Amino acid sequence: MTAPASRPLLVAENVSKSYGGVRALREVTFTAYHGEVNVLVGENGAGKSTLMKILAGAESPTAGRILLDGAEVTFRSPRDAMSHGIGIIHQELSLFPDLSIAENIFAGREPRGALGMVDFAAEKARTAAVLARLGRRLDPGTPVGLLPIGQQQLVEIARVLAEDVRVLIMDEPTSALSNQEVDTLFEVMDDLRRDGVTVIYISHRLEEFRRIGDHVTVLRDGTLVAHAPMTETDTGWIVRQMVGRGQEGLFARDSAATGEVLMSVTGLTAPGPAGAVLDSVSLEVRRGEVVGVYGLMGAGRTELMECLMGARQATEGEIRVRGRVCAEATVPARLAAGLALVPEDRQREGLVQTMSVQNNVLLSSLTALARRWLLSPRRERAGAGEQVADLAIKTPGLRAEVTALSGGNQQKVVLARALLTEPTVLLLDEPTRGVDVGAKAEIARVIGDLAGRGLGVLFASSELAEVMAMADRILVMAKGRITGEFQAGQVSEKELVAASASDKAFGGRP
Amino acid sequence: MTATVKGETRSAPAPDGPAAASRWSPRAGLLLLLRGRTAIVLVLLIVVFHTLSPHYLSDSNLLLMTKHVSINAILAIGVTFVILTGGIDLSVGSIAGLAGMICGGLLYEGLRLPGDTVYFSAVMVILIGILAGTGVGALNGLLITRLRVAPFIATLGMLYVARGFASLRSDGGTFPDLAGRPARGNTGFSIIGVNTWLGLPVAVWIMVVVAAAAILVTTRTPFGRRVYAVGGNERAAVLAGIRTGRIKTATYMISGACAALAGLLLTSELGAAYPDTATTYELNAIAAAVLGGTSLFGGRGTIAGTVMGAFVIGFLSDGLVLVGVSAFWQLVVKGSVIVLAVVMEQAQQRVQARMAAH
Amino acid sequence: MTSSSASPRRALGALAAATLLTLAGCGTSGEQPAASGASSAAPAAAAKLIVIITPSPDNVFFKAEQDAAAAQAKKLGYETLVLSHDDDPTKQSQEIDTAISRKAAAIILDNAGADASVAAIQKAKDAGIPSFLIDREINKAGVAAAQIVSNNAQGAALGGQEFARLMGNKGKYAELTGKPTDTNAGVRSQGYHSILDQYGDMKMVAQQAANWDQATALSITQTILQAHPDLKGIIAGNDTMALGAYAALKAAKKTDVIVVGFDGSPDVVDSITGGGVKATVLQPAAKISEMAVDQADKFIKTKSTGLPEKQSIDCTLVNKDNAADVTNFAIKS
Repeated sequence: MTAPASRPLLVAENVSKSYGGVRALREVTFTAYHGEVNVLVGENGAGKSTLMKILAGAESPTAGRILLDGAEVTFRSPRDAMSHGIGIIHQELSLFPDLSIAENIFAGREPRGALGMVDFAAEKARTAAVLARLGRRLDPGTPVGLLPIGQQQLVEIARVLAEDVRVLIMDEPTSALSNQEVDTLFEVMDDLRRDGVTVIYISHRLEEFRRIGDHVTVLRDGTLVAHAPMTETDTGWIVRQMVGRGQEGLFARDSAATGEVLMSVTGLTAPGPAGAVLDSVSLEVRRGEVVGVYGLMGAGRTELMECLMGARQATEGEIRVRGRVCAEATVPARLAAGLALVPEDRQREGLVQTMSVQNNVLLSSLTALARRWLLSPRRERAGAGEQVADLAIKTPGLRAEVTALSGGNQQKVVLARALLTEPTVLLLDEPTRGVDVGAKAEIARVIGDLAGRGLGVLFASSELAEVMAMADRILVMAKGRITGEFQAGQVSEKELVAASASDKAFGGRP
Repeated sequence: MTATVKGETRSAPAPDGPAAASRWSPRAGLLLLLRGRTAIVLVLLIVVFHTLSPHYLSDSNLLLMTKHVSINAILAIGVTFVILTGGIDLSVGSIAGLAGMICGGLLYEGLRLPGDTVYFSAVMVILIGILAGTGVGALNGLLITRLRVAPFIATLGMLYVARGFASLRSDGGTFPDLAGRPARGNTGFSIIGVNTWLGLPVAVWIMVVVAAAAILVTTRTPFGRRVYAVGGNERAAVLAGIRTGRIKTATYMISGACAALAGLLLTSELGAAYPDTATTYELNAIAAAVLGGTSLFGGRGTIAGTVMGAFVIGFLSDGLVLVGVSAFWQLVVKGSVIVLAVVMEQAQQRVQARMAAH
Repeated sequence: MTSSSASPRRALGALAAATLLTLAGCGTSGEQPAASGASSAAPAAAAKLIVIITPSPDNVFFKAEQDAAAAQAKKLGYETLVLSHDDDPTKQSQEIDTAISRKAAAIILDNAGADASVAAIQKAKDAGIPSFLIDREINKAGVAAAQIVSNNAQGAALGGQEFARLMGNKGKYAELTGKPTDTNAGVRSQGYHSILDQYGDMKMVAQQAANWDQATALSITQTILQAHPDLKGIIAGNDTMALGAYAALKAAKKTDVIVVGFDGSPDVVDSITGGGVKATVLQPAAKISEMAVDQADKFIKTKSTGLPEKQSIDCTLVNKDNAADVTNFAIKS
C-alpha cells in the first residue's frame, strides 16, 4: 500500500489502552513515515488523543510496544519522549500570555549562564534562530498575549522545534486559525518535511488534511479501520471509514410530524476575540422537531447555544420563543422563556460535583418546588425521583454523590435538570460527548421521545453519524455562520462535510 | 477496574438510600469516625478537662462556656455562608467592632443632630447595629461581584476600613456606660448580653435561634441550595439559571449581619464599647467553620458542623484557662487542634473517594 | 500637621539639617557655632517640627500622652506630627524614617519594645535628631536624650499595698496580667507580688494573661470564677482589664469582690467614684509628656537637657478618697 520511498520511523505496534474497564484503544498499529506528513483522523472518542498521548509519553500503553527507528522504546514521561526527539503540540494553546516569545519557548529549560542565572542573550539568539527557521520575523521579546492566535500557534511549534525534534505531533492545530494562518502553517509544515521532520497531524478537516497529508490513518471506536497513502483515497472513502456502517442503527429516529414554530432566531451575531464567533445566524425549531447543528471545532456551535441560553451576550439579532421576543439575555430569563440547555462540558459546566444526584436534578427548578420559601423533602424526592425513573438514570440512590455515576448517567442527570424546568425548546450541546456507545443510543432515544412529546430540540454535534441519525433537519455551521441546511435522509456525508468546510453563508445553496 | 460498571448493576433508583452507610466494613467504620470527628474531639476535650478540673463539668461552667461559644458561633455561622460559596470573609471581627461602636455611641451620647441630640430605644439601636453590619457586608459583596475584587482582598481591605471607622467613631475612646437612662428611653441594651431566660443566657438563646434559622435556610430553602451550588461549581450554577452574583452578595450580607449581632452581644455583656472589640475574631470564626468540616473551596459544609466547631474552640480555650495553662501554650494547643481537624477532613475525603471507587 | 510650603524656608531648613548631619558624621555633637548660627538665621516664624510617636490611641492612656505632648509642643511654638506605631517595631522604624526625612527637631517616643526600638532610635540620633522616651524604657543607655518613665515598680507596690489593705490582708485572689511580651506587664506583676507575697493569708489561685484587653479579661474572669467561686479579689495589670473583670463580677452579682487596676484612666476613675473598681495607680502620663516636650525644647536650644538620661516619675494611688481630683491622667495636687 505504501509508496516505495517511505521508511517507517515511529511505529505503535498492537497498542491497547484501557481506562478502568473502558477500552480506549484496541490493538492499534500505527505507522508514521520518515519525513512525511502522517494524518490521523477519526470521530470524537475514536481514540486519536489516547494514541497521541502514548506516542508522546504522557500515557503508557496497557499492551503493545513502540518502535523508534526499528528499536523498541519506552517513554516514562513527555520529557522522556522529547529526549528521543518526539514533540507534541496540543490543541489548546499552553502558552504564558504575559511572557515573551523567548521566555515561552524556553520556559522550564532556560539556558543558564554564570551563577546559574538565566542567560537572556542566548535565549534571545536561539529564539531568533528558531523563528527564522519558521520563516517568521518576530521580536523574541514580544509578549505572546499580544500575538494573533495563528502566530501563537507558531510559537507553540517553535517551542518544540527549539529542541532537536524528529517527530512533531500536531493535535488539531488549525481549529482556531483563519484561512491565511492555515496557509502559513502548511508552508511551515512543508519546510519541516523537507528538513526531514516527521509530522503526525490530527485533524477533522477533510479538505485541509487532504492538501498536506502523505498518509492517512483512520481510527474508529478505538480500532484502526484504514491506513493508506493519501493519493489512493478520496473524501468519500475517508468519510465512510470514519463513520463506518451499522452505527446509524443505534439511533433509531422515526421522524415525527412537526408542528408550529417554537423558537425562531434571526440575525444572531456575537463578537469574539478574533472576529465574530456568531455571524447573523438565523434558524427555526418547530414543535416535535429535532434540529441538529453540525460543525467542526471552532465553528461556533457552543457559542450559539450559549447565546440562545443568555450565557453569552449577542450584539445583534432576535430570539423568539412561541412568538415572544426574549429581550433579557440572562440564563434565568431564558429559562423562564422556555429554553433549557445541557452544556457541552458536563464536568466543568453541567454538574455540581459536591452535590447529590437529587440536588443536581433539582437545581434549576428550586423556586417552582418551594412553597412559601421552603422546600419540602417529599416534593423534592418526588420531582427528582420521577426524572430519574423517566430517564432510567442508574444510581445507587437519589442522595448518592453525582460523581459516583458513569459518564452517560451523569449526562442524563444534567438532562433531567433541564427537563424538570419543562422547557419549550431543549438545547443540547454535544449531548453524547464522552459517553459510551450504549449510553449514546439511549440518549438518542430519549431525545426522540422528547420530540415525540412535543418539545423542540436543538442539538449541536461534531459527529457526522450522530447528526445524521438523530436529527430531522441538519444545519451546518462554519466560522460562526450557517453554511448549509439539509433534510435528514436526503443528505450525504460528503455534502455535510463540504458545507462544514465552506466559508460561504448559507443562502442560494442547493 | 470495574468502577463504573458495578454502580450500574443496581438499576432501580432506590430513593433515599444513604449510599455509604448501607454496607458495614472496617472502612465504613473509619469513615463514620472521621465524619463524626468534631463531636469526638469535643467529647475528648470534655473528658480530658473533666479529669483535670472538677469545676469543668459543673452546670454553671457549662453554661458559661456555652455563652462564650455563642459569640464565636454566631460569627462562624455567618462566615460559613460565605465559605460555602467558595469565598472568605476576613472582615467579620472588624464589623463586630464597628457595630459595637455604632451602638455604643448611640446609647452613650445619642445621635447628635444640629441643635438636638436624639436617643433611640435599645431595640432600635440593636436593629441599627445589625443593619450597619449588613450594609458593610453588602459593600463586600458588591466589591467582589461587581468590581471583581478577590474575596480575600476585598474583605481584608474591609477589615482595616471597618476597624478604622470604629476608632473614628469615638476618636479612639471607649463608650464606658451602655446602660442607658430611663429618661432617654434607651435602657435595656444589657439584656442580650447579661440576662438569662429560662435558665439560659439570652446570648445562648440568640445563638440557638440564629443556628436554627441558618440550618433551615441552608437545608430547606432554594437560596440555601443555590449557595451550595455556587460553591460547588460556579459555572454550572450560572448555566442552571442561578444568579450567582446575588447569591454571593447575600452571603456577605448575612455574614455582616451575624458579625454585627456578635459584636452587640460582646458589647452588651461588657457594658462598654471600645474600638478594639473583637480584634482577630475573624480567625476564630473561620477556624470554627473549617473545624466543623466546611471546605474552603466551597460547596461542602454544614451549619451544624460549624456550631460544633465553635464549641470545640470555645470549650478548649476556656478549659485551658480554667486549668491555668499559660497564654503561650494556649496558642500552641489551639493551633494544633485546628490543623489536626483539617488533616482528619482530608483523610475523610480520601476514604470516601476510595469507598466510592468500590 | 499643616506643613509650611514656602520654599526659601525649606531650603534653609534643609541647609540646617545638612549641617547637623555633617556635624554628627564628624562626631562633634553640636557645640559648633555654625549649627546654632544656621538655626538662628531662620526666620522666627519657621516652626520646628516635633514628632510624637506612641502606641495606638485606641487606648485612652496613649491618647492622653499624645494630646498632652502635642498641646505642650504647640504652646512652645513647635509644629507637631503625631503618629502611632501600634506596638509594631517595624512600623515604628518607618515612622522614625519619616521624622528623619521631615527633618524633625526632636522625637517624643513611647516605644514599641525595649530591645527592638534601640536601632531605630540610634538611627534618629545618627541623623542628628534627639529622642525623648516616655512611659517605656529601652535597654540601652546613651542612645536617647532622655528616658522619662513612670516608676512602674513603685506604682505596682502602691497598688499591691492598697489591694492587700482592701482585702484585709487575707483571702483568695486572681491576677490578670498584660501582654506577656510587654516589659511593663512583668514589672507590674513583680511589683504587686513584692507586697502581696509577704502576706501569708493571701493566696493567688489563678494568674492569666488577658493581653491588656477588656473583652478577654471579662471572659477569663468568668472562667476563673467558675473554678473559684470564693474569690475575694482581682488585681489587674491595667485599667481596661480591671474594667473587664468588674463587668464579669457585676454580671455574676459579685460586686463585693475587690478589683484594683493600674493607669488611672478616666473610665476607672469614674468607676471608683461610683463604687465599682476599688483603686488604681495613676501614671502621670500627661505630666511625663509635658516634661519630655519641655526637655526637648531645652535640648534644641542648648544642646542639653541638663538632667540625667533616666528619670523615674513616681505614680500616685487613686482610690475613692482622691478620685474626684483626677482628670485625664493628671491629678490636682
